[in-house]
Amino acid sequence: MKDILKEIYAYRQMIFSLVKRDLRSRYKGSVLGFLWTFLNPLLQLIVYTLVFSVIMRAGIDRYYIFLFVALVPWIFFSSSVNGGCMSIIGSSDLIKKIYFPREVLPIAYVTTCFVNMLLSFVVVLGVLFVTGYGFNIVALCYLPFIMIVEYLLALGMALLFSALTVYLRDLGYAMGIITMAWQFLTPVMYSSDLVPERYLSLWRLNPVTPVIEAYRAILYYKEIPQMGTLVPAVMIGVVVLILGEIVFRKLQKGFAEEI
Amino acid sequence: MSQGTEQEYMCKEEDASIIVKDVCKSFKVYLDKGSTFKEKLLFSNRRRYEERKVLNGLNFMVKKGEAIGLIGHNGCGKSTTLKLLTRIIYPDSGSITMKGRVSSLIELGAGFHPDLSGRENIYTNAAIFGLTKAEIDARVDDIIAFSELEEFIDNPVRTYSSGMYMRLAFAVAINVNADILLIDEILAVGDAAFQEKCFNRLKEIKSQGVTIVIVSHSLGQIEAICDRSIWIHEGNIREQGEPREIHRNYQKYVRKKRIEVEEKERARRKAAGEKKERNYGQEVSEEQKKIDAIRDNDDKIVSIVDVVTEDLEGTPRGIFTTGDAMKVHIYLKAYQPLEEFYINVGIGRFDGVVAQSIHMHAEGTKARSLSTSGEADFTMVIEDLSLLPNLYFMDVAVEDAEDHELDYSQRACRFETVSECIDEGVVYLKHHWE
Repeated sequence: MKDILKEIYAYRQMIFSLVKRDLRSRYKGSVLGFLWTFLNPLLQLIVYTLVFSVIMRAGIDRYYIFLFVALVPWIFFSSSVNGGCMSIIGSSDLIKKIYFPREVLPIAYVTTCFVNMLLSFVVVLGVLFVTGYGFNIVALCYLPFIMIVEYLLALGMALLFSALTVYLRDLGYAMGIITMAWQFLTPVMYSSDLVPERYLSLWRLNPVTPVIEAYRAILYYKEIPQMGTLVPAVMIGVVVLILGEIVFRKLQKGFAEEI
Repeated sequence: MSQGTEQEYMCKEEDASIIVKDVCKSFKVYLDKGSTFKEKLLFSNRRRYEERKVLNGLNFMVKKGEAIGLIGHNGCGKSTTLKLLTRIIYPDSGSITMKGRVSSLIELGAGFHPDLSGRENIYTNAAIFGLTKAEIDARVDDIIAFSELEEFIDNPVRTYSSGMYMRLAFAVAINVNADILLIDEILAVGDAAFQEKCFNRLKEIKSQGVTIVIVSHSLGQIEAICDRSIWIHEGNIREQGEPREIHRNYQKYVRKKRIEVEEKERARRKAAGEKKERNYGQEVSEEQKKIDAIRDNDDKIVSIVDVVTEDLEGTPRGIFTTGDAMKVHIYLKAYQPLEEFYINVGIGRFDGVVAQSIHMHAEGTKARSLSTSGEADFTMVIEDLSLLPNLYFMDVAVEDAEDHELDYSQRACRFETVSECIDEGVVYLKHHWE
């Protein structure tokens, strides 16, 4: 395991340049260019605000903020898993022709999504400030920590699914519907109070739930997230990452032949 | 010692830079491959495959600073070996140890992005080889200088010609400063001058103690750089040792193989009862058409039925080694008794260069005759077929005593010569130096 980490570290420049290339080429050719990175979440927020405070009034105070502080991290997670599962297949040219630690590809993909989430958070914090909703500085200190936990979780999932998709292409096509179902099983659009008591323990098995709840605690409720939420979140993040890497290592030897 | 035993080239593990131990590798060749879930589930019986064994317990070591060449015919496993060393694929059993940083000149320009500039692509490409930013910064000027693309380095790569593209890619790969360099079919890059530069650079790298493994069909290049050649045959080492010697044996084998293939093809054609195609795809010349017209004429008195080349034992052959003896069998069909006639044979290279025209009459050979009509055959023996390796044709003519042509068959038969000799021209003149 130590050797793997060392090797990936040696290839950090490759990760860095892949991320840079993805970020630069994402909005290439558009008039507004990189501005879209900020414009996208802002426009989304406006749509949600209109829909949920005028048309579908939910019983939750400032529902658009309630939703948005969970939606931005969810989008990071789902796009990491969704797009990440194609990261190996999508680079078949490199895989078939040259050696590098294969983990670099999912890592670069998830990191790109992560950077996009950070940029979206600039908008989130800006909106919280401008609307006067405000924030709790002490609670905010926990934000980077929970982001790292989510990064580990997303990376673990991306490693797992990117390797599996090489052997089973259907996974790539099914991932869209899987992440959609996953979103409804995660308290992004609703709070956990809504979940019926008898399903609660089953529902809690979802590894993303504690992470999303922590984001909401920090930004919406302006509280320090509870230990009961944080500890399982960290544990799940680490376990999923290790599990993902073990599966990835096992499967990666056949990548060049299977692609 | 022309043929090294395996032990001879084994060294202490700590001196070795590459250790390949008992490596086996087979590929599954799917007859009908399906990789979607439905196909895997429903048509499991359709997923039949053949296991093709490519490497069969391969063992070798390469000492630090040694340069070796892998040779062998297509499909022998040499490229698979190189891929295994690169760690693109992994062995089914056995182990491979590579000590130090590995760079490969296998796929040049991996990850090049057409819209980015040459300089930016140097960074991306070098990063794929595992270099850090600081390491690339230190090398970038060398890379640009080597590629000779100073003027264009900040233009997008898509504006480059393919030669420029390859030059840039090669410059990056060769400047990685690896401990082990793996090369597949080198130096097909750029113009002659650049190739020479790459070649010299390779020699320089070798002198710095870098271990080099080359797969190439160009035996000359291997001889110029490598200390040892490994001839891989059917997934195992057949011979290894001093490149020149190994290559001589290898080429001998290749020639033998070709003769076998050629003869098999001949036998197959014969068995299939295929009609002999006289002109071998060549345009029928006006002259031949006229002759054919005469041929079909009723007053023709003789026609050339077939011309067959054989070895001395009388086995028909289409391929000979320079210096072999050759029997030429000429089958004629006479429509009336022939009192006196001569046979002329012209041998020429496929491009029309005449090697020799043999005129039976002119050289004073006694005329032949046929007392009855019907088929008859005549044999000419060439004791020493001193033709350099190439494709040759034979024209045959029958003339009467007044040198009037009775029948003529252009390109009546075809044969090939092979040889160790790589001299150019048509005829091999026996010679020696004093």
